[in-house]
Amino acid sequence: MKKFNITDFSIKWGFLIVMGVLFTMFSILEPAFISAGNLFNILLSVCIFGTMALGETFVLITDGMDLSIGSTAALSVMISAYLMVVLELGGLITIFIVLGIGIAVGLLIGFLIVKVKIPDLLATLGMMFLVQGLQYIPSGGLSIGRGAVIKNGREAMGHFSEGFKYLGQGRILKVIPVPVLIMLGVAIIVYIILSKTKFGRIFYAIGGNPEAARLVGVNVNKYKVIAYASSSFIASLAGILLAARVGRGDVGSQGTLLMDAIGAALIGFAVLGARKPNPFGTIVGAIFIGMLMNGLTMLSMQYFWQDFIKGSVLVAALAFTFGISKKHG
Amino acid sequence: MNKEPIVEVKNIGMSFGATRALDDVDFNFYPGELLALVGANGAGKSTLIKIICGYHSGYEGQIIIDNKEVDLNSPKEAYDYGIQTVHQIINQGVIQTMTVAENLALEEMLSPDQPILYNYPAIRKRALEIASLMDLDYLDMDAPVFSIPQSDRQMISIARALASNPKLLILDEPTSSISEKEAERLFSTLLKLRDSGVSIVYVSHRLHEITRLADRVGVLRDGKVAGELVVPFSVQNIVHAMVGDIEQEPVKKEDVKVNKNVVKLELKDLVVQEGKPGLNLKIYEGEVLGLTGLIGAGKSELAAVLFGDVKPISGEMYINGKLYEPENIGAAIKKGIFMVPEDRNNNAVFPDFSIRQNINMPFLDMFTNKAFVLNTRKERKEAKRMVKAMTVKCESEDSPILSLSGGNQQKVIVARWLMTQSNLVILDEPFQGVDVKSRSEIGQYLRKNIGKSTALVIATDLDEVIDISDRVIVFNHGVMVGEQEAGEIDKEKLIHLTSQTLEEILEPGLVGNVTKGVV
Repeated sequence: MKKFNITDFSIKWGFLIVMGVLFTMFSILEPAFISAGNLFNILLSVCIFGTMALGETFVLITDGMDLSIGSTAALSVMISAYLMVVLELGGLITIFIVLGIGIAVGLLIGFLIVKVKIPDLLATLGMMFLVQGLQYIPSGGLSIGRGAVIKNGREAMGHFSEGFKYLGQGRILKVIPVPVLIMLGVAIIVYIILSKTKFGRIFYAIGGNPEAARLVGVNVNKYKVIAYASSSFIASLAGILLAARVGRGDVGSQGTLLMDAIGAALIGFAVLGARKPNPFGTIVGAIFIGMLMNGLTMLSMQYFWQDFIKGSVLVAALAFTFGISKKHG
Repeated sequence: MNKEPIVEVKNIGMSFGATRALDDVDFNFYPGELLALVGANGAGKSTLIKIICGYHSGYEGQIIIDNKEVDLNSPKEAYDYGIQTVHQIINQGVIQTMTVAENLALEEMLSPDQPILYNYPAIRKRALEIASLMDLDYLDMDAPVFSIPQSDRQMISIARALASNPKLLILDEPTSSISEKEAERLFSTLLKLRDSGVSIVYVSHRLHEITRLADRVGVLRDGKVAGELVVPFSVQNIVHAMVGDIEQEPVKKEDVKVNKNVVKLELKDLVVQEGKPGLNLKIYEGEVLGLTGLIGAGKSELAAVLFGDVKPISGEMYINGKLYEPENIGAAIKKGIFMVPEDRNNNAVFPDFSIRQNINMPFLDMFTNKAFVLNTRKERKEAKRMVKAMTVKCESEDSPILSLSGGNQQKVIVARWLMTQSNLVILDEPFQGVDVKSRSEIGQYLRKNIGKSTALVIATDLDEVIDISDRVIVFNHGVMVGEQEAGEIDKEKLIHLTSQTLEEILEPGLVGNVTKGVV
């Protein structure tokens, strides 16, 4: 047995301990905090960006960055609404088309990065604007709900199918929200892919040393494209969950999704001292953000503090991860 | 010659982890003298130079400049004492996106005395003055440096170093990537500089250059001064001082177990560099073939073609008699052509991975089921077998690779490619930064386990090659200039072959004689 080392211990468990202490504190100060209803509310509040963060994890692992996922999710919201409300398509076909568009966005980003050789930050920033702009075009810049008047003066007569809305609003056994289960399902799948399959090993290898990966026969470009396609695919799935929850197509629904998602994935670096992107940490990071916001709101924190606090947590977690553990070796 | 040294180094020592790179090294550098510094790879030349030019702080010993002891902690300090260095890696010496003029006058441009508004015409004027020091007036001053050839970039670095009127000018392998003509121009400038009182330290593998230029030769071997030679000296003297007593035995004739009846790999008129003659070579079953030559001799170019990374310009390759035309590296690996690349840290090690993950990386398919899920138990078993066979010193096969010493990391990388059956394993500079013991263990393992496969060991250092090869071939300027079998190795002849000039190679009579004398 190795000697107990406080630095090693805090690198590994520090974040989870802080999270546990906060959880206990909120529970004592505000007993309503630990009611089942509130705990599911926390999960519900994080499941959209939490799902997106799982997709972002693929890209982060290959040492890239995808800034377009917020826009891609928002585009999916608008396309879902347009397909069902204006074109009056069914829920299932809508889901397939939206996910297909998500993959197409990711493939285009991958192409721009590996073939046109645009640096990843710039390519995804450009695509962020492009996709963000694209969401306004079908509806002429208007939000889409039943009865909305679209460009040609015609009233939209379709509606969100019940099955589609179930994805965002349904509860299993009347308690567990369906989108939360979907997020956890995605988390498990992503975890298996990244930790148990050869694809995960290859993604991590590319992130660790792309030249070495190339020299053991890995088609690095192919895997980078797959990473971006996965990220956009999962972002469009998150968009579907968001559209299903609100039941209409609001323009500009990207809001703070991108920053929250990236924040969650980066906070995940600190969980269990991973120091690298990992799906478990990503989910914990997302829940941490949700718990903090929920708890502080219950303790009457005013809304305008939110972003500041999220940012502080992120910086603290990163400083902890890279500062302490790097010095430590 | 002036007897007062301008720079003295005394009892210089330096360790990197467990490796003793330099030990108790003394040198005096006199004004108006050209000192050539020679030694095999890893002998400590680069470390010594880096200490003198302020790059490595934390050295042991003293540096005395103009009779005053100084403490060099940064390149800037060395520079302020009048020590200028032109490094071997050209692109570290130039800023690619700036113009030729800006690179030549870089010092002026970045000086705090410059006016706030950028005065390009003034920079350009100064650049032209600097260019004339090396007759570089033919360069397009306004072209960005990334658009000009390597050799011109090197000339820019040298010109810039000369422009600051250094007291001590250090050149590390300055001719490794410039043409003969440019080298001549460099030599005449250097001799002029020397005569004007500058002290010059000249590092080169090219012994012929050294016999022409140097007033004195300092020889390093395994981090220690192995001798100093004063004119007159010959290539043979230098080689003897460099090589010294051999620590390892070259392969003996009776240890050669090559099956000459089976040609494993054949190259037919293979051209890997534009304008070079085709290469014809057979590698036989069970053979460890050594390939040596200076940097730039075309060794790595051949490796890149064999490994499917670069397409040959013309010619054919055959494996087991079948045409071999790899589309990419993945295809080459499928055909059983493996490579341990040069520069372990940048090209081979996955720093976040464990030993096991590093070993298994090329052959993940061996460990995956139909659902692509990795079988960790099987991975462990194979990794454990290789770790044991190659005597990697580690806690377990799941330890991080970065917890190992350089030599043990290299064993892991070699193990990666010896785990499965191959047709050819290329090892490009496998012993760089590897301690003597690990080197011998890797070499012995390779020889014992070559089986029906073949290996191509590429190294600039002659000893590294002859200690494990059944046959040694020599490249020079992209031409295969010599071949010797184990048991008939003539080291001095091999060194002569590696350091010949292009003219000597192309002179048919001379080449004929040499080849006949060797094979």
